[in-house]
Amino acid sequence: MGKIFRLSLFNLRKNRKEAVAIAFLTLVSTVMLGIFAINVSKVSNAFDESFEQSGSVDTMIMIPESDYRGVYQDILEKEYGFEDIRRGNMLYGMASGVLRDGEKIAYNLVFIAKEENQKIDDGKIIEALTEEQLGTLEHWVLLPSYFRYNLGYEAGEDFTLVVGGKQYPFTVAGFYNTGFSNDSGMLFKILVSAEDYRLLTPSYTASVFLAYNADDGFDYREYFKKCMDESGDSFEGFGFLREDEKLNETRFLNMFLYLSIALSLITFVASIFMVRNKIRSDIEDQMEKIGVLEALGYKGKEISLSYVFEYVISSGIGGVAGGILAIMTTPFMNNGISVMLGREVLSSAKLYMAVPVVAGVIGLILLFALAKAAMVKRFPPVVAFRKGIRTHSFKRNILPLEKAGKSINRRLGIKDSIRNIRTGAGVGLCIFLAGTALLFCMFTFVMFFHGSDGLVRLMGLEISDDIITVNDGVDAYALSEELRSFPEVSMTRVTYAYTIFRIDGQKEGTAFAYDSFSDMEYIIPMEGRYPEHDNELMITLRRSRDYGLDISDTIALDHKGVKVNYIITGIVGSMSNNQMNLYMTSDGFRRANGGAAASMVEIYLEDGVDREQFEQKLSSVYGRSMDAAMDGDPAGGTPEERIQAVAAEKIAVLMSTYGVSGIDYAVRVGDRLITGNSRQFVMKDLQSYQDLIKSQLDPISDITRFFTGIGVAAIGIVVAVILGIIASSNVKKRRKELGIMKSLGYSSKDLMTQIAISIMPVTVISVILASVAAILFNKVFWFQLFGADIRTSIPVLILTDIALIAFTFIMTYIGAGRIRKISVNELMTE
Amino acid sequence: MASSILKTEKLCKSFSNGGIQQHVIKNLDLEIKEGDFTVIMGSSGSGKSTLLYALSGMDKPSMGKVIFDGTEIQDKNNDELAVFRRGNCGFVFQSIYLLENQTVLDNVLTGALIVQKNSPELINRVKELLKKTGLDEEAWNKYPSQLSGGEAQRVGIVRAVINDPRILFADEPTGQLNSASGRDVLDIFTEIHQNGQSIVMVTHDLKTALRGTRVLYLRDGGVVGDHRMQNYGEDDLRERRNSLTSFLEDMGW
Repeated sequence: MGKIFRLSLFNLRKNRKEAVAIAFLTLVSTVMLGIFAINVSKVSNAFDESFEQSGSVDTMIMIPESDYRGVYQDILEKEYGFEDIRRGNMLYGMASGVLRDGEKIAYNLVFIAKEENQKIDDGKIIEALTEEQLGTLEHWVLLPSYFRYNLGYEAGEDFTLVVGGKQYPFTVAGFYNTGFSNDSGMLFKILVSAEDYRLLTPSYTASVFLAYNADDGFDYREYFKKCMDESGDSFEGFGFLREDEKLNETRFLNMFLYLSIALSLITFVASIFMVRNKIRSDIEDQMEKIGVLEALGYKGKEISLSYVFEYVISSGIGGVAGGILAIMTTPFMNNGISVMLGREVLSSAKLYMAVPVVAGVIGLILLFALAKAAMVKRFPPVVAFRKGIRTHSFKRNILPLEKAGKSINRRLGIKDSIRNIRTGAGVGLCIFLAGTALLFCMFTFVMFFHGSDGLVRLMGLEISDDIITVNDGVDAYALSEELRSFPEVSMTRVTYAYTIFRIDGQKEGTAFAYDSFSDMEYIIPMEGRYPEHDNELMITLRRSRDYGLDISDTIALDHKGVKVNYIITGIVGSMSNNQMNLYMTSDGFRRANGGAAASMVEIYLEDGVDREQFEQKLSSVYGRSMDAAMDGDPAGGTPEERIQAVAAEKIAVLMSTYGVSGIDYAVRVGDRLITGNSRQFVMKDLQSYQDLIKSQLDPISDITRFFTGIGVAAIGIVVAVILGIIASSNVKKRRKELGIMKSLGYSSKDLMTQIAISIMPVTVISVILASVAAILFNKVFWFQLFGADIRTSIPVLILTDIALIAFTFIMTYIGAGRIRKISVNELMTE
Repeated sequence: MASSILKTEKLCKSFSNGGIQQHVIKNLDLEIKEGDFTVIMGSSGSGKSTLLYALSGMDKPSMGKVIFDGTEIQDKNNDELAVFRRGNCGFVFQSIYLLENQTVLDNVLTGALIVQKNSPELINRVKELLKKTGLDEEAWNKYPSQLSGGEAQRVGIVRAVINDPRILFADEPTGQLNSASGRDVLDIFTEIHQNGQSIVMVTHDLKTALRGTRVLYLRDGGVVGDHRMQNYGEDDLRERRNSLTSFLEDMGW
């Protein structure tokens, strides 16, 4: 055994570069697989432990206070048999504006008084200002941990809410561990004082929550249906389940972990291929030496083992180093998981999981190496002395030089690629796998290159600059018309409050209704056409696939017990609202929801308009709070101001109580005429989905861009290493042949070009196949994860393909550069 | 009088092995005339092949100059030497060194197409030369492993001369051949020389050396003897052999 080991060490020293490259590839594979193995369970555990520590109930439902009925709690208790149901109040604000460093961001927020929150979870503080500091604060908020770990908020920082043109300045008192509502894609639950809760109440939607521990499999949609059936009223509620929260919070983390395992498998396959290829070429190259060793009495098995040892040593070094590195990344991974999850990571890493990964990687390489090295046994000494039968060629002469074109180098390169078809197949497999991963990373990287714009296009929503929700009774069309006359406004579009329709046997759908779909920018049917009549609608790709629905099928929408049939005219890729949106005309919307009136105006601004300033203008013109006016806004001291305050109070009462849509007044005081109208109360709410999208999608965009950027670089390095080794071993294997060519006057450049060209046919084929695979994978990936319909960017595809082919050529050319160092004499007499 | 085609000035070539310098060629001054058939002889290890490779630009000298037709080539880099060789030199090796994976025709064309453009004329010329050396059409699509040693060496010669090199270098071209095949190959060399080709050949075989017009004897890295002869066939063979044998005996061969 000792002599075999010495033989291996001798070979290792001789093939230093290849050994280092194989060690590197094994290291990369082991690091990535190790990181996956150590951390995959931690993501799940980190959420579970954090949730447990929060003391949260595992289920919560939230219903607008105006829609809540006492019977809803009874159903839970009597029909479901749940105990200890805690009822409380919270405020809900969709796309609520928050100022941070002067910039407005929007989040979906719920506010709850700190004491009231005890009904849901313990509100355990993670970090907070001191009691002394807290004592000095007039208005404070306690934010869920996501704000600290992911968004980088700090205690003591300003947290100014912007709603209905008003600003509510708060200070971040600290962060707490919440069970629910800790996800940028859903809601954030913010704790405030009881006084501030009252202060915020007029500006947000008052809601009732029921918090309890439910049995596994509790379906809140089914529960809502029971509630509506029982009460005969319809409402739009939210359901919060622990498993849903976990799925939402860990989705992206798991996606990245699984992508990293895909990358590591590519590297691993490449390592195995490299080892096999190297062993074969070494054995062929050293056939005479094998013959000598056999003649000296070494057994075929012993010689095989010397080759196997060589690669087990190099891959072993790489594997062990990779395992250690994977373990060393634990603190960084903890930090990364904490950032992405927005929670404190308490669970300890399963470091021991690195051991089976290292053993598995080395074991598999050993297995493949043994299988390949066994070929030594096929060569008894005499055959080995003659360098085996393979050096003798009897094949049909493909591409004879007699018919060569202008470039002899190209002809010889292509001839060589046909000659080495087996090696080519292995290289092709590596390039195919790496190319698929590279293209996928490139598609994703490019899509996120300009932040969240790429994702916005997949939302299946029209993203205007601002959306005004009008007060009840206000004519949205008239407002829309009026807004169009503003010089800042380029376009307006009237729509309806987002309404959820139930569909038997299917997930409910959020409806988006417009008078016309002719000017849509993002809602684009991937199949079929826009709805034109009141009995037509479009569904999402997810709904189409999940329920086997196609164009011209009929589905029945149910709203408040009224069921109406619609014909499907188109299918739209959409990431938003559980990927279950419905798109219909305004007439179609009213068919199922007879009482609905258009209540929202989407505003698109001209280029260069300052949105903040425009929003201030809208707030000052249309945004006076009716509640505040009815409570008696503090008016100025002049008689005119007092008259206007009283008039405003009357208008507010008339509009909110009696549904009056437009009021003008004129009061004569002496010779002065004081006039006014209801215009100031038009706006109930002003939102911008651009702010919400920014807060929800920018973190995803940043991390995805970072990850795919790293992926592109890592794949590039792996491909470069593989090609470098292949080219280098090609030179080694063909030393004599290349020496002869040099003696004939072929320069090193000619020969390097030939070697690089020889890899081109297989590269081009592999890249084409990789392109097809990447397009399919990209489509499946985005659909499965987000229900989105991804259109592959053909320019990106073509440019990446060209870049990959050029990169392959250049790396192989450089890898073959060792030819330069070898003189003709050395090559031939080696 | 024939002009000088190749010249060396104080040519040295040494190899380093395990830190020990071995000086194979030492301060060698040499001049080779155009049209000569120069044979380099010497005992094993005398530096015959090393000199051949240094003269032909296959290897770089350690010191001194190699002047080919007035141009110094010793300072050229590997690629410049490759370009130099393709235009000026042809090589025939003892181990023949045909490309195993290429047919006879392709072996010759591999040498030809790096210098010349592919054309029907070129293909015809290759075929003519192959025929001339006794390789008929049947052999053209054979691979080297399907040829006898003599046939393979004839392919090697055709490949070496296809570009009309200024000098044809040959390193023990009959070293691996039986006597009949060796004689055939030497006849080809003689014919080529008589057609005006300059040849520099290394050999340790008397019969091979007889074909030359000049025999240089190498010892300890230097030329110690220079023997002139007429063109092969223009004098009496017995006298030619005696004269050369006598020269070689004087040299201690």
